[in-house]
Amino acid sequence: MWAEIRRHLRGFSSPVLTGVDGDGYPISIRCALELDETEQALRVSLPGWTGIRPGPASLLCHGHNDLLWDLHSFLARGTLEPIGGETWVFRPSRLVPGMGIGGLAGMARFALAKRRAARRYLQRRGLARPKIDWAQLKTVQAKARQ
Amino acid sequence: MALPIPAEVEAVFREFRTCEFSTLAADGTPITWPMLPFYRASTGQFMTTTSIGLPDKAFNIRRNRRVSLLFSDATGSGLFDAPAVLVQGDAVAPDEVKTSIGGFENEIALVYRRQPAGARYTRNAAMRWFSDWYFMRLEITVTPRRILWWEHGDLSSAPTVVEAIHVG
Repeated sequence: MWAEIRRHLRGFSSPVLTGVDGDGYPISIRCALELDETEQALRVSLPGWTGIRPGPASLLCHGHNDLLWDLHSFLARGTLEPIGGETWVFRPSRLVPGMGIGGLAGMARFALAKRRAARRYLQRRGLARPKIDWAQLKTVQAKARQ
Repeated sequence: MALPIPAEVEAVFREFRTCEFSTLAADGTPITWPMLPFYRASTGQFMTTTSIGLPDKAFNIRRNRRVSLLFSDATGSGLFDAPAVLVQGDAVAPDEVKTSIGGFENEIALVYRRQPAGARYTRNAAMRWFSDWYFMRLEITVTPRRILWWEHGDLSSAPTVVEAIHVG
């Protein structure tokens, strides 16, 4: 997993680190990371104002172009702990691929997995798979092009 | 009631293409994914949606309503030197699957204007079969509790903060 995270990180300059603050709310910050190969962890400097508490955290890397396309993202789940001053260490424990990771095959796997997840969501509620009004969507797309 | 924010922060809410949306998983881990938010200036709330193929955000909210939205990527927004903005708030995600665009025509048209290639998912029967789950949506509404922003997007400095006042 560490090798995968390290490889995916190369394409991103400022990941989003999210922890939990003293009120129990998520708090996110863009940050620069320093890889600690020995610990297989990521060091980060967190300003004191964040109020982030040690504990569960995640790291999101994502991007898109000016036309909101070429989407790519992945998430690493893990823990965050202070190691002195404003320096903290994020220890990843799980990689969650998002959009655009793994090429075309990855996208197909992603779409099919989400299709199955949608089926489960409906089945657990005893709902039939709803029909999408594609014509209505086409009308909105035409309006958007005007 | 909408929290008092300056025009440049409202412009970020209006023009940024995505935000980083965080919910809390059952084990307390904050889970963050990019989302397309819509800001309702009249109420100060944010509306967004998620597919039932990606329901974890909704499940997390039903368990713990605490969420945050970070606006930190100005790509495609047309804004220059925009502030970075963090919204912390409370969300609701009713268990009602929506497939009709009734009432949201303007928002969906805005998404297609900003993301014209998104129309590929509806181009032909095969693509529509492959992606119908994407159009089965759960609505999420976020009521801000605290808004923090950083001029010039400089997150190393202390933010300006406005908070909702809770009485009782």
